[in-house]
Amino acid sequence: MSRVLLRIALASLGRRRSRSLLVVIMIVMSLWGLLAMEGLYDGMTEQVIDNAIRSDSGDISIFADGYRSDPGLHRLIANPAEIAAVLDADRRIKSHVQRLRQDGLIATAHYARNGAILGVDLAAEERHGQLAAYLHKGVYDFGEKRRGALVGSRLAAKMKVKVGDKIVLSAQNRDNEVTALALRITGILKTNNMALDDSAVFIDLAKAREMLMVAEGVSRISILLHDRRQVDAVRQVLQAELPEREVRGWDQLYPALMQGREMMAVFNLITSLLVFCVAALGIFGVVLVSVLERLREFGIMLAIGTTFAEIRAMVFVESFVLGLSGYLGGALLGGLTLLYFSRYGLDLSMFSAGLDAFGMDAVTYALIRPGYFLTALAAVSGATLISVLLPLRVLRKARPIEAINRI
Amino acid sequence: MDSSFLETRQLCKIFAPHQAAAVQALADIDLAIHRGEFAVLSGPSGSGKTTLLNIIGGLDGASSGTVILDGITVTELAEKELSRLRRDHIGFVFQAYNLIPVLTARENIEYVMRLQGRSHEECRRRGEEVAAKLDIGALLDKLPNQLSGGQQQRVAVARAVAGKPKLILADEPTANLDSKSAANLMDMMQQLNEDEGITIVFSSHDPQVISKAKHSIVLRDGKVAANEHLA
Repeated sequence: MSRVLLRIALASLGRRRSRSLLVVIMIVMSLWGLLAMEGLYDGMTEQVIDNAIRSDSGDISIFADGYRSDPGLHRLIANPAEIAAVLDADRRIKSHVQRLRQDGLIATAHYARNGAILGVDLAAEERHGQLAAYLHKGVYDFGEKRRGALVGSRLAAKMKVKVGDKIVLSAQNRDNEVTALALRITGILKTNNMALDDSAVFIDLAKAREMLMVAEGVSRISILLHDRRQVDAVRQVLQAELPEREVRGWDQLYPALMQGREMMAVFNLITSLLVFCVAALGIFGVVLVSVLERLREFGIMLAIGTTFAEIRAMVFVESFVLGLSGYLGGALLGGLTLLYFSRYGLDLSMFSAGLDAFGMDAVTYALIRPGYFLTALAAVSGATLISVLLPLRVLRKARPIEAINRI
Repeated sequence: MDSSFLETRQLCKIFAPHQAAAVQALADIDLAIHRGEFAVLSGPSGSGKTTLLNIIGGLDGASSGTVILDGITVTELAEKELSRLRRDHIGFVFQAYNLIPVLTARENIEYVMRLQGRSHEECRRRGEEVAAKLDIGALLDKLPNQLSGGQQQRVAVARAVAGKPKLILADEPTANLDSKSAANLMDMMQQLNEDEGITIVFSSHDPQVISKAKHSIVLRDGKVAANEHLA
């Protein structure tokens, strides 16, 4: 396009300064909202997934064959040390921990509830999924004689127990005899993983072996990877190496979370479409009025030798400048907002009761993904293109003299 | 002189042809204008002067008949070819000046040359040369709304001439000017016609302006009422 046409396009925007500014502000605000929402919603979803992975499933879990459909002490991984050696050899694996689980009864003097007794190594769990970060009350320790227990926050609330209270765990041991163990609550964990918060009592792994009469073997080996995107690849390799074991990815263990992530992607797409519509309508309105009120001017330009394609390019530049200005402003504002919330989080403590019900954290940390900005750019570019085509049809159909005499 | 420079053959124009209120604006117009002529179309309002100029310049289509410009049948060209024809071979001067409001006088004058793809230096040199001939050299950095009507029309003439067209079509170029400005403008156009050898066809109903032409065509009710070469 000739420089003179570029000059006309830019000067025309300046001639209608307040109108142009209004459209730019409209796009900026829409994009700002879009980016902030995308980042925060994705952050929320990923936090829920991250909580489940760190506190329970890992990126990948290994079980004894048939354990998941019929869990019990008769289906344990008998040779965890051999499997640990296999896992240690794979550089994609960051860490792994062993857990022993048995369902049982948790009782106080006044209440009793079904629950899950989880034998864990607290130090290993801290290195693995930073379990201590979920400590809500008390200390992250089982005490000197390892007669302490960490209880899920919702379970503690239901049983009306607090740190220092005594609980009795009862469960069937390996010989199918009922066994009991009295412990004192040393801490309350709030993982926001509802399955754990509702029913889990973490006790020392050795104590659990003693209580359940399991000399060796574990119920689950939880694995964390350096790169979560490699879950499928690593899982397949491990499954091939350990054919007698069930190797499952987090998405298979928590399908609802995976669906939640997919739903969020659809939600974000719908939000992008809304922004696209706002931007398109804004630019369309301005371009339509601009074309209609300059029809005579375009007629003159056609009359003195400008082609329709050149005028179309000129009008496109005008709307592109509007769209790009709006995009840059919106991306900057949205990016800064996301940066802030990714560092300091969005504190939604006032809704914590409601968020707890969905297993969400009270403070949401936003994500910043390049895809947000690319989607927004595509939405604004598309809106710009479409908003130009329709107004120009008016001009395309007219002969130069008709355009000149239009007013 | 080249007799076939601009010809119209059996040229007709009917507005709203399929409606009851159809208007025959031009009827069987046969004209021949030679290269380098300074010709005037005159006649009362509604006689068809503007319509004829528009069809000759490819701004409007004919209902029937042919316009041939320097061997090119204008009435057979597609819109894109018409754009190129207007850009490279025809200059327009309108009654209402019709400058591009966001461009300075200099940019308006250089506009067609820029579309023609000429270099910046050539546009600048030619623009200043034409502006000097039309005595608007001091106004080149002003926007159209900072100029008087007469000055704007001179810029419009400079724009039409700058691209070195074969033909300039001017529709009532002096209609919005006072008599002194009108006379000045016509003198300048006449000078350009002589200096640059450009064929100029303009319309007017002002006897003073008409008297400057060397070829007078009078239209009445869409027909040629008189066609004579003046001394």
